[in-house]
Amino acid sequence: MSEAEYHPLPVATESHKDSETEKYHAFVNLALGLAAITGIELVLVYLPFNTVFIFTVLLSLSLFKFIAVIAWFMHLIYDKLILTLAFGTGMAIATGTFIALGFLFSRGNVDMDAITGF
Amino acid sequence: MSDTATASHEDGHASLIIDNKKLLMWLFLGSDCMFFGTLISTHLIYRKLYPESFEPTALFSLELTSFSTFILLMSSFLMALAVSAMHKGELKSFRRNVIGVIFFGLIFLGCQVYEFAHFVHEGLTLSTNTFGSTFYMMTGTHGVHVAIGVFWLICMYFYSHTGKMDAHESAIDVEVAGLYWHFVDIVWIVIFTAVYLIEFI
Amino acid sequence: MSHTETEIPTPETTHAHEPQVLKPERSRLGLMRPDHGKSVIIDWLTTVDHKKIGLMYGTIALFFLLVGGIEALIIRTQLAFPENDLISAQRYNQLFTMHGTTMIFLAIMPLNAAFFNFLVPLQIGARDVAFPRINSFSLWGFVAGAIVINFGWILQALEVMGLFQASGPTAGMNDFVPAMGWFGYAPITGINFTGAGTDFWIMGLQILGIASLSAAMNFVVTIVNMRAPGMKMMRMPVFTWMTLVVSLLIVFAFPAITIALGQLMFDRCFGTNFFVVAGGGQPILWQHLFWIFGHPEVYILVLPAMGIISEVLPTFSKKPLFGYSIVVFSGAVIGFLGFAVWSHHMFTTGLGKVATAAFSLLTMAIAVPTGVKIFNWVGTLWGGRVRFSAPMIFSLGFVWMFMMGGFSGIMHSSAPADAQQQDSYFVIAHFHYVAIGGIFLAVVAGIYFWLPKMIGKMWKGNLSTWVAIFSTVGLNVTFFPMHFLGLLGMPRRTHTYLEGFGWETYNLVCTIGAYILAFGIFLLVVDIIRCFRSGEPAGNDPWDARTLEWTTTSPPRVYNFAKTPIIPARDALWEHKYGPENRRITFEDDHGHGIHMPSQSWMPFIASFGFIPLGLGMSLMQAGIPYMGYFAIFGLVLIGMGVALWAIEGPGGYHLHPEEDAI
Repeated sequence: MSEAEYHPLPVATESHKDSETEKYHAFVNLALGLAAITGIELVLVYLPFNTVFIFTVLLSLSLFKFIAVIAWFMHLIYDKLILTLAFGTGMAIATGTFIALGFLFSRGNVDMDAITGF
Repeated sequence: MSDTATASHEDGHASLIIDNKKLLMWLFLGSDCMFFGTLISTHLIYRKLYPESFEPTALFSLELTSFSTFILLMSSFLMALAVSAMHKGELKSFRRNVIGVIFFGLIFLGCQVYEFAHFVHEGLTLSTNTFGSTFYMMTGTHGVHVAIGVFWLICMYFYSHTGKMDAHESAIDVEVAGLYWHFVDIVWIVIFTAVYLIEFI
Repeated sequence: MSHTETEIPTPETTHAHEPQVLKPERSRLGLMRPDHGKSVIIDWLTTVDHKKIGLMYGTIALFFLLVGGIEALIIRTQLAFPENDLISAQRYNQLFTMHGTTMIFLAIMPLNAAFFNFLVPLQIGARDVAFPRINSFSLWGFVAGAIVINFGWILQALEVMGLFQASGPTAGMNDFVPAMGWFGYAPITGINFTGAGTDFWIMGLQILGIASLSAAMNFVVTIVNMRAPGMKMMRMPVFTWMTLVVSLLIVFAFPAITIALGQLMFDRCFGTNFFVVAGGGQPILWQHLFWIFGHPEVYILVLPAMGIISEVLPTFSKKPLFGYSIVVFSGAVIGFLGFAVWSHHMFTTGLGKVATAAFSLLTMAIAVPTGVKIFNWVGTLWGGRVRFSAPMIFSLGFVWMFMMGGFSGIMHSSAPADAQQQDSYFVIAHFHYVAIGGIFLAVVAGIYFWLPKMIGKMWKGNLSTWVAIFSTVGLNVTFFPMHFLGLLGMPRRTHTYLEGFGWETYNLVCTIGAYILAFGIFLLVVDIIRCFRSGEPAGNDPWDARTLEWTTTSPPRVYNFAKTPIIPARDALWEHKYGPENRRITFEDDHGHGIHMPSQSWMPFIASFGFIPLGLGMSLMQAGIPYMGYFAIFGLVLIGMGVALWAIEGPGGYHLHPEEDAI
């Protein structure tokens, strides 16, 4: 019974509907963009460009997709800053840990003779 | 799990910054970043250490994976529409979109099952080498997330037919489920690039 | 407020003083909710009240503190003399593994959780935590994890009596209690090296992790969202701040161990190669993943202690905390830096020069905010009117002892020095000064400070002084000689040693100290029992304290505050008692709504109970007991069912109309 008790969500007013319509257009554009990017990525890996260049482009495209979904589909730009902080902290720690681990491991430290599996 | 937890028990709390469930879900997603971060790190570390141990390009079908990426992105789009519909109180539109999300989610899972079966048939199993271990565990964990999401949305779909959904509380519930679904999508965006595409450069 | 009023269905209401009028309602499942029942046991099993949950956390944690203490005493007795054979080497390994695991996961963390649960809602002026049923789930999840992790003792006893032998995947390995150290380094955790004990450990920790994660998220939401009006972030008590930091640490650190344990489980159950050397696995990866979790875990253990001290010192110095914002800020910095220093546990593994230097520097950097806090505590005492009541004695002990642990910690941050100290008794001395001299003394200070609030009874006599004397002397006699033992080269986790290394006297002294410390803890238990049995009524505010929890009755009523307080300042109660007129605590008018109380529920209990068959099933399967896979699946089904019914049953709730009370 407490379910209905406690919601700051306003009843759908006209202005609310307008903003939802605006969001709708943003969503459609974004969906088209995301589909296009996925297509570009697929083609890109087969093109005879410089490896570093392709790698950089792939990374930035994926980063763009990542941020776009979070920002619009997940409403983060419409929402309170504290949500960005909650998620961003986790994301930052995970990324930092990932990069640190990447540097900490190197093939020079591996005793390949001990590995009999392959 | 639509209303796993009650909302606040304070009647109208002054310092309320954001809905409890939404904050909980975002914290969970922040935590899940670390979860998938660890899995992806493990995979890439072993790829870095033993680049020659396995040649995944012979096995991966980039067309199939791109297709399932596209499917998941579109499901995310529909999910955003479903959340929007719920906020406008349009139950019919919500149902239509959610059915789409569930359908696309199932297609994605189908692709993954097909992919796993194909790989196992080609001789890559959990215990073949480190690539098999990390790849199956990472994508498998993601698949489990998708499956849970699909199950959650199916529950919501049926719940919407019981007539117990009210515009305020259920809009938050749907939004929280949506956040989860989008997160599963962005994890796949990272995996698609970091695990699949990079192998083909 | 206003737009919701109309939507509340008229609840059954009553006055708080006539609870018999309240009747349990049916949930949406059609089942009776376990509210307002007559059975005390059902009431405690299904409770969603943060105070009862906190008390249960505390009781169970104290029990495990004693269990871990007995394990430590057996270890110390074994080491009292050279070539002692009180226990076998295998049993010794099991004891130190379980001592570490028990103390960290089953004693200190739940003791901290007990304080979080009991105090945080009271300190921020809330009715309860944000998700009362998740809170209940966390408690019973913790209990389930504790049962799974300790279940091996039963099998081990059967094995000793000759009634049980491992078969199946771990055939021939009859270690049913984990025996590989609390951090379970690969590859000894591999299926070729250790038996089902490792599986109990994996499943138990995994369950405890889920319980901790759900509790931590709950607390973050509670602290962000549920503060009373006027309770701005920078007006919160430091203990609540530290709870927030610790909860965030849990949220972001536990996933690493969850994955690492998952990978280890896959290695053992499904033949993957994550940590199997022959298959290309890197045991060092386990160390990294473990310490990515493990170092934040150290701060998860110690930050609540710092929070307790930051509450006790101002109260008994009659002064505000010196540099409140700096204390809060340095707590947050410690938390954040805690994620960037994990490799200092691994200096001797050969990380490479750059990494070693970087982690060395970061480790030194993290000493700075800790030192800042020490100075702030001393600054709080400076010029204050200091009363040496029991909580204060333990807090002063904390500052001193914790500092000593900190100093040897800084010594470890230098990689060359650490190379000498690694895995020696020096490290043991360091972390026991932090754990016992720091965390334990702070927790005892917290118990002496808040138990009158929790049970409404005041301490009798001054047994507390003897507790302080015996535990402080005991811990110093036990652990100070260990510094020398370490520098003389005695390795840790050694079952016994030969004469002639110069270790004999030190070891004997350590063992004597351990018994002195144990006697101190025994006196503490006696004192707590005495307080329960014959303590005088405590009154609302027995210590002339400063924060909001002391405005309520002791023990607080189920609804905490009859009306939501409006907080005018930091140290709200102190300002209310002694501050200017405009800083009095006032109360919100609830327009006759009463207080909305959440309904009790069986579902969190059922869902977390499912962890027991899941964990035991997965582990016993490894020990070759038939049909255990089905038992594990049954556990999963139970969890799923519990969660589903939990979702469907609806939160329920009823209203109370208590009489208003004055401060």
